[in-house]
Amino acid sequence: MNARIIFANIVIHVKGFIRAKEAVFFTLLFPILLVLLFGAIFQNEDDVHFDLVVQDLDATNTSAKLVKMLELNGTFTITKINSSKDAVEYAKENKVNLVLIIPKGYEEAFFKRMVLNDMNASVNVTYVYDPSSSSATTKMQILNSVFMQMNQNLSGAPPIISITSKSVLVKKYKYIDFFVPGIIAMASMSMSLFGTVSMNAELRQKGIIRKLATTPITRAEWILSNISYQILLSFISTALILIVSFAVFDVSLTINLWLGVFVILNVFAFAGLGMLLTRFAKEAESASAAANAIMFPMMFLAGTFFPLETMPDFLALIAKILPLYYVNEGLRNSMFFLDYTASAFDAAVIGTFAFVVFVLGLFATDWKSDE
Amino acid sequence: MNNSKYPFVDFGSMPEYAIEVENLVKRYKSVTAVDNISFKVKKGELFAFLGPNGAGKTTTVEIIETIRKPTSGLVRVLGLDVMKNKIEIVRKIGVLPQEFSSFDNITVWETVNYYSKLFGMKADVDKLIELVNLSDKRNERYKNLSGGLKQRLGIAISLVNDPEVVFLDEPTTGLDPRARREVWSVLHGLKKEGKTIFLTTHYMEEAELLADTVAIISKGKIIAAGSPNELIDKNTKYMIVTLKNPDKKIPEMLCKMGCEFENSNRDVKIKVERNEEILTILNKLKEENINYNGLDVRKPNLEEVFLNLTGEILHEEAKA
Repeated sequence: MNARIIFANIVIHVKGFIRAKEAVFFTLLFPILLVLLFGAIFQNEDDVHFDLVVQDLDATNTSAKLVKMLELNGTFTITKINSSKDAVEYAKENKVNLVLIIPKGYEEAFFKRMVLNDMNASVNVTYVYDPSSSSATTKMQILNSVFMQMNQNLSGAPPIISITSKSVLVKKYKYIDFFVPGIIAMASMSMSLFGTVSMNAELRQKGIIRKLATTPITRAEWILSNISYQILLSFISTALILIVSFAVFDVSLTINLWLGVFVILNVFAFAGLGMLLTRFAKEAESASAAANAIMFPMMFLAGTFFPLETMPDFLALIAKILPLYYVNEGLRNSMFFLDYTASAFDAAVIGTFAFVVFVLGLFATDWKSDE
Repeated sequence: MNNSKYPFVDFGSMPEYAIEVENLVKRYKSVTAVDNISFKVKKGELFAFLGPNGAGKTTTVEIIETIRKPTSGLVRVLGLDVMKNKIEIVRKIGVLPQEFSSFDNITVWETVNYYSKLFGMKADVDKLIELVNLSDKRNERYKNLSGGLKQRLGIAISLVNDPEVVFLDEPTTGLDPRARREVWSVLHGLKKEGKTIFLTTHYMEEAELLADTVAIISKGKIIAAGSPNELIDKNTKYMIVTLKNPDKKIPEMLCKMGCEFENSNRDVKIKVERNEEILTILNKLKEENINYNGLDVRKPNLEEVFLNLTGEILHEEAKA
């Protein structure tokens, strides 16, 4: 093993990479753009806010208090419509998914119940809504809970069951905290998978491997230099993602040795897969297509963008057989939950996978011979 | 060529040979790409391996370069067996593979420097670049070079380890005539430096112009070997008289005279076996008052040698 040869190879790959603008964009800048984009979309996810259209047919002080109370709740921005309008027509014309109608006689019913103690006095508010809209359902659920709370308060009886919430997390878990470890894993996966496919299939197709075969470089030196180059790129990409995430979104992530462990294991796992791919799909185009076929399920099913809890059970089960899932989980366990026992388990799973695939890939890479 | 039953008795005691190939066979399943060929290349000579596409040239050269394994036979480079001394041989040879390519975004200087590091050599990169006349392109990226410049870079790379034997596999294929001549000029320079050059080509003009020795391979077999002149003298017993743009009645006259001839574009090429026949034809032309724009008398070339030996044309351009 000649260190100078390995170093010369790394240098040539780094130079080639830096000068290929598209490669720099898709490898280093694209993950950062995703962080910025998803971070911006989900930045205010805890601040749930809806528009609510109210038609107050009662137009009394009491009905006005109800509207004010809904406004002060903080969940709704209220738009009032004239009592002369047809609420259904209004909703259709203005593409409004929910109109709350406070009926005439609202104040009177309150007076009868609260002052005259008439237990038969009641009032019925109406929801005019678009059943195809999921946010209308959410709004109605919130309104239901508000009205239930009002009924409870008006009855004067203290609640039997009360609720106390206690977070299991030591700090608040934002979506971006979930997303950043996923994007680190995804970026490192795609660069090692496609990097290996490019090194093996494209260079072979272009005849560069044939030329290298006439030099003293050995297969071990070639593979080791490629792996080192991909680890280097993965660390650069990880550092950039973290710098942007901390600077822009003030993520609550901890950087420790496990980060390095998972990035390295990830590179070995997917470089190994890349080597196996290029054994069976020798043309650069077919190898690249096969790499895409591997990458997309990993991206969307392995809990990179969305938690497994949001998936149907069978998809969540599939996710758990995908290697990237254990990198995602391992990174989150070590960077956010600080659960190093769980990290060790994830590292063992991805480490075993990486070892098996990489060793198979080593045997599969017969780069000097085209017998 | 050596056809002896025990051809290897004196192998190793013949240091004047850079390459020795004996009874080499290479089979791919049912296809025999190289069929029991033998030849030797002297140190310091330019050896041209001439043949059409698919004849077995590249397979043979890649076996000598240690990239491929032979099915049977013995190949030695600088006295070293290719099956046993792969590492030593790789360090002593330089190779320009067929359809050479390199890293798109790496400059000429960086590429030569990279390959010299793979050999663990501190090559004089600038000198190598100058040798192939690429000094003004030293900072140009590979992807921006023309076909001829790429091939010259490939030749520079093949010299980074100061090799004793240089293999150039079709270095001028696909190049325009000017670029081809530029590569030839580089090869002349290498020859002057005393390098042994193993050139595979399907351009007979290239072989004829550059080579000390030519071996012609067809369908996996060597069908002729020797210096270009020897091959021509041995395999062609005639001269070619070309009449430029003659009158249309000349075919009739030549038929009457019993001459072997062919129409080539506007010219007529007549095969003559004796010098006296030329005089006879010229007298007859004068007698019949047949006009023509010029006359050319020459010996046949390797293209015609190949045609005579195989009945096939060497490469597509020769048909034109």
